[in-house]
Amino acid sequence: MTGREIAAALALVIVAVVLQGALFGEGRIQPFGASPNLVVVVVIATVRYLEPEPAMLVGFTAGLLADLLGGSALGLWAMVLTVIAYLTLRVRHRADDGPLVIAIGVFLLTLLAHALFGFAGTLFGQRTLVNLDVTHLMILPALYSTVLAALVVPATTLAMRGRRSRGWAV
Amino acid sequence: MQPFRRFDRATYLLIGLLVVSFALTTLDVRGEQSGLGEVLRSGAQTVFSPLQKAATAVTRPVVGFIDAISNFAGLREENERLRQQLADLQAGVQEVEELRLEVELLQQAAGLDVPGDLAAVTARIFANGVTDFDRVRFISRGSDDGLAKGQAVIDARTGGLVGIVDQVADDSARVRLITDTRVGVGVRNLTSSETGWVEGRGSDPMQLEMFSVAEPVTEGDLLVTNGSRYPPDIPVGVVLVSAEAEAGFGLFSTVRPIIDLGRLDYVKVIVGWSPLDAALDNDGDEVVPNPSVDLE
Repeated sequence: MTGREIAAALALVIVAVVLQGALFGEGRIQPFGASPNLVVVVVIATVRYLEPEPAMLVGFTAGLLADLLGGSALGLWAMVLTVIAYLTLRVRHRADDGPLVIAIGVFLLTLLAHALFGFAGTLFGQRTLVNLDVTHLMILPALYSTVLAALVVPATTLAMRGRRSRGWAV
Repeated sequence: MQPFRRFDRATYLLIGLLVVSFALTTLDVRGEQSGLGEVLRSGAQTVFSPLQKAATAVTRPVVGFIDAISNFAGLREENERLRQQLADLQAGVQEVEELRLEVELLQQAAGLDVPGDLAAVTARIFANGVTDFDRVRFISRGSDDGLAKGQAVIDARTGGLVGIVDQVADDSARVRLITDTRVGVGVRNLTSSETGWVEGRGSDPMQLEMFSVAEPVTEGDLLVTNGSRYPPDIPVGVVLVSAEAEAGFGLFSTVRPIIDLGRLDYVKVIVGWSPLDAALDNDGDEVVPNPSVDLE
C-alpha cells in the first residue's frame, strides 16, 4: 500500500459524496422511490486495497463527510461506515471467490449500513425509522447499490491500482 | 486469511472511532445541530458547495434524460390527469380569489394587518441529501444574501411551503423539507378555520393533528400556515382522509404536501418576516423568543 492509494481512496470518497447528492434522490435518479448508496459502495471498494488502519479511517472520513453534507446528525454515518469498513476488512479475502460473492457482499453490507443508520438514528432521537418503509429505505437501495457496484468496483480498482490491478483480494 | 494480529489492531481502532462518532453525535444532538456541528457543517458546505454545483451542472442533462425515459410511459396518462386538474383548479381559483377579497375586507374591518408581499430571495436547488434518509436540499444562496436559520422556503412556481432553512453558509444553505420527520408546521384549515399541527413522516404522507376536535376535517381541505412561526397563509398541504374526533380526544389525519418535492428546482426564501413578529403580545411591547427551527 502506498500514500498514493490512500490519497486515491480519499479522493474517491469525496467524489462519491458529491455525486450522491447531485445524481440521486428525490427529483434526481430515484427509480421506484429509492436510490443506490454510492458512498457505501465506494467505501467497500476502496477498503479492499488498504491496510486496516487507513481503511478504517477512510470509512470514518466518508461517513463524516456524508454527515456534514447530508441531513443527519454529525457522527451517525461516520459510525455506520466505520463498522462497514471494519466488516469489509474481515471478509475481503472472500472476494477472490468471484463476482457473485462480491455482489452478495455489497448487497448485505449496504443493507446492514442502512439498517444500522436507521437504528442508530432512532436511538439518538432522530426519528429515522418513523416510517418503517423497509423496501424503500433498505432493500431497494441495497439492490441498486449491488448493480452500481458492477461499475464502481472495476473503476475503483483502476483508480487504486492503475495497471497493476491483479484481482479482488489484497 | 489475514493474520489475526492485524485485525486486532483494527478492532481497537474500530472501538476508538465508534467512541469518537458516539461523542460527536451526542454533542450534535444535544446542541440541536448548533455549536461545533454547525461550525463544521458551515465550513464543509463552503468548501464543497462549488464542487456540488459543478457536479449538478454536469450531471443535470444525464439526470434529465434518465428521468424522461423513466417517466415516458406514464406521460400520456399524466397529461390527461393534469388537464382535468387544471380545469378544476381554474374553477377553484375564481372562487378563492373572491374569498380572498372577502377575507381582506373582513381583516381590514377588524383592524388586522394583511400580510403583503414579503421580501424573498430566489435560489436554485443544487444538491440533495446524501441518502434517502435525508429530507434536505442545498440551495445556491447563503448568509451573504440575507438568509438565516429558521426562514421559510416556498416553491418559486406554486408558492407552496417547501421547508425551512436550517443551516447557512456564506453562499449556500441547507433546507429541511416539510416531509422530514423532525419538522413540524402550525397550520390552519381554510375550510373550518381550525388550527392544528402537521408533522413530516419521510416518504409517507404527513400527519395532521388538529388542536380542536369540534370540527371534522374533510378530504381535500387545504391547509395553510397559521402564522405562528412562519409567515401566515402559505399553502402547506391537502387533507387526504376525512376524519372526525376519536372518542373526543384527538383528531388525526394524513396530509399530502401541496408541492411536488420531486420536481423542485427554484425556490424562494422569505427573508422579510421574523418568527418573533408572531410572538408579540397584544400590547406589542413584550417579545417571547421562539425557537428558530421547528425541530422536535
